[in-house]
Amino acid sequence: MTAPLRVSFASGVRHALPYLQLLGRDPRVKIVGVAEHDDCPDWMIADSRRTAAEAGVPWLGDIAHALNAQAVDLVVVCSEPTRHAQLALEAFENGIDVLVDKPVATTLADADAIAAAARRTGRVCAVINRTHAPGLRRARAWVDAGHLGLPRHIDVEFLASGAHFTTSVERPELVIDPALSGGGELLNFLGYCVDSIRYLTGIETTSVYAMAGALFDNGHARFGVEDTAVVSLGLEHGVTATVTVGRVPFAPGLGPTSTSIRLLGSHGHASIDDDRPAVTRYGREPIVASHAVGGVGSGAALAGFFTDLVDALVAGRTPDYGIADARASISVIDAAYRAIASGAVTVPR
Amino acid sequence: MTFRVAVVGTGAFAREHVLALRSLPGVAVTHVAGSDLRRADALAALAGGAAATTDIHAAIDRDDVDAVDVVNATPDHHRWTVAAGEAGKHVHVDKPAALTVSDFDEMVEATEGRGVTLMVGQTVRFQPVITELQQALARGEIGDPKLLHVSWYTGHVWPNGWRGWQLDVSRSGGHPVHNGTHSIDLAVWLTGSTPVEVFARNFPTFAAEMPMPDSFQVQVRFESGALATLELCYALRQPGEFLRRIVLVGTEGTLAHSTDCDPGLSSPGHPVAPPSIENALSLQLGHWVRAAQGLEPFIVTTTQARVALATAVAAQRSLETGQPVRISHDQPKARLTGVAA
Repeated sequence: MTAPLRVSFASGVRHALPYLQLLGRDPRVKIVGVAEHDDCPDWMIADSRRTAAEAGVPWLGDIAHALNAQAVDLVVVCSEPTRHAQLALEAFENGIDVLVDKPVATTLADADAIAAAARRTGRVCAVINRTHAPGLRRARAWVDAGHLGLPRHIDVEFLASGAHFTTSVERPELVIDPALSGGGELLNFLGYCVDSIRYLTGIETTSVYAMAGALFDNGHARFGVEDTAVVSLGLEHGVTATVTVGRVPFAPGLGPTSTSIRLLGSHGHASIDDDRPAVTRYGREPIVASHAVGGVGSGAALAGFFTDLVDALVAGRTPDYGIADARASISVIDAAYRAIASGAVTVPR
Repeated sequence: MTFRVAVVGTGAFAREHVLALRSLPGVAVTHVAGSDLRRADALAALAGGAAATTDIHAAIDRDDVDAVDVVNATPDHHRWTVAAGEAGKHVHVDKPAALTVSDFDEMVEATEGRGVTLMVGQTVRFQPVITELQQALARGEIGDPKLLHVSWYTGHVWPNGWRGWQLDVSRSGGHPVHNGTHSIDLAVWLTGSTPVEVFARNFPTFAAEMPMPDSFQVQVRFESGALATLELCYALRQPGEFLRRIVLVGTEGTLAHSTDCDPGLSSPGHPVAPPSIENALSLQLGHWVRAAQGLEPFIVTTTQARVALATAVAAQRSLETGQPVRISHDQPKARLTGVAA
């Protein structure tokens, strides 16, 4: 494939604006535009159209224009999560590579269907992830260098701040109404944590237990989905992991989300915090303010992944995170929900 | 009036207690009692004027003893706490208070049931940073606590830390009871709620063949709906190394502290406690002395200590069964409070 990489957006209701802005800055990328299914609810069409306008890219109208292989090399699926699989499958059938927002699918069956379609059509299926977070990359280098010895335990905390809910989530229903979100914050966030564990260790999850609840007043209780969960993972070779995820009123970080990871090894331990190192400013209001070195973690992670994605597609290779990785995370999420429903330890499928 | 204390125990922690008690105004250690007279002598000498003895019963029964500090191996806590209560003495007992909830109930009956007091030495509550967290919580600064995450990692060797009884699950209660009581009690205190479910896993960093792995995690659901992740690792490479991070999320705000942020000493071979946790034992025993004399309310109540012990016992059961355990707290005489789910 030769530059420019022609990129369209299939739906623009969720996360599309920051993705458009980041991809649009890459000189090797040409944004074709944003499209939406004609038969979607009016608010979806309006939101997608507004996203295109805010990003300053063309509004394509019906989704068929975003899935035209003659005009598009890569389609970015930014719909509500319950429509991810349908859009990805349509793109594969049209012979187009796909980048799917996370979670890649809301059921394990849908994740499998995406993987099967990608395999059958020979197309690339990349998935949004945070494994390019600078702290995670740094820790992986320490692991690879042998500084920590044998892996023993990983603790991951991923918390989103309700204080940023109105600015980081386009519409609350997109994360709390199961008809759109497919689940609660476990589905939304646990994948990031499992990705981190797999990236750092290369070890898969073999057993899961989870406890969850709607503990805060974000609207989750109204739709019967969790805003917070604690998850225990048994990994291969006797390694363990704990995960604490949620959308809480005030996350202990500098931005909309905070990620904090601790890795215990036989010969050392390491910690990762998306908001550290940071520089602190003392002055007028706010009297104390901190700024993470290199910017907040989520932005740096996304930028790193998009660079790798474009590098890969332009060079004709496979991006470093794809449907197989995302499927592995969805299988743990699926096991966590089954553990909550059954009150028993479950095994990922 | 001097508050006269007999210390029962002659190990490393008993030594720390003697040193802390002797520094308190209005307190006299009158006896150090234990099975080894030479060690008792050595500790009594630290207190200046204290008598050393192997006749623990006699020391406890003396009229010139107001209170007993039971700070020996866990299997002996029940026996000497009950004996002290029956002798009409106030009792401070080191954590974990007992190996079973029914033992603890008998200890409470023997003390509070006779009009004297019993306090379990949950030292963590007296660490300056924990006191600060609790006070912020009490001031309503974060609303209702709903999510707690405690990562607690430390070097795994300390004086007398891993003798035979500590490695024997039947005599130490297992790691969630032996050391986990610290963080489980902390969770009970900070959330202000009662655990109703626990799930635990452990792993050995060293010595996989030993019955008490050095590290474990407990996840907890509370009656209030609150959730907690409590990790404990006693296997950092460097003895004395200590890393603890606490995040407490409430409905109106979040409190967080990490020892990473403490100023401190960095001097190889000379580990010192971070300022956020220093001097906790003296603060604890000073409080106990005042509370036992009715001068202030107990910070650690036996009701809370019972809840924490039942939860720790249930966590050990979760480790043994590999399953989550629902916890019943409403059977004061039940031998086993944890029931496999």
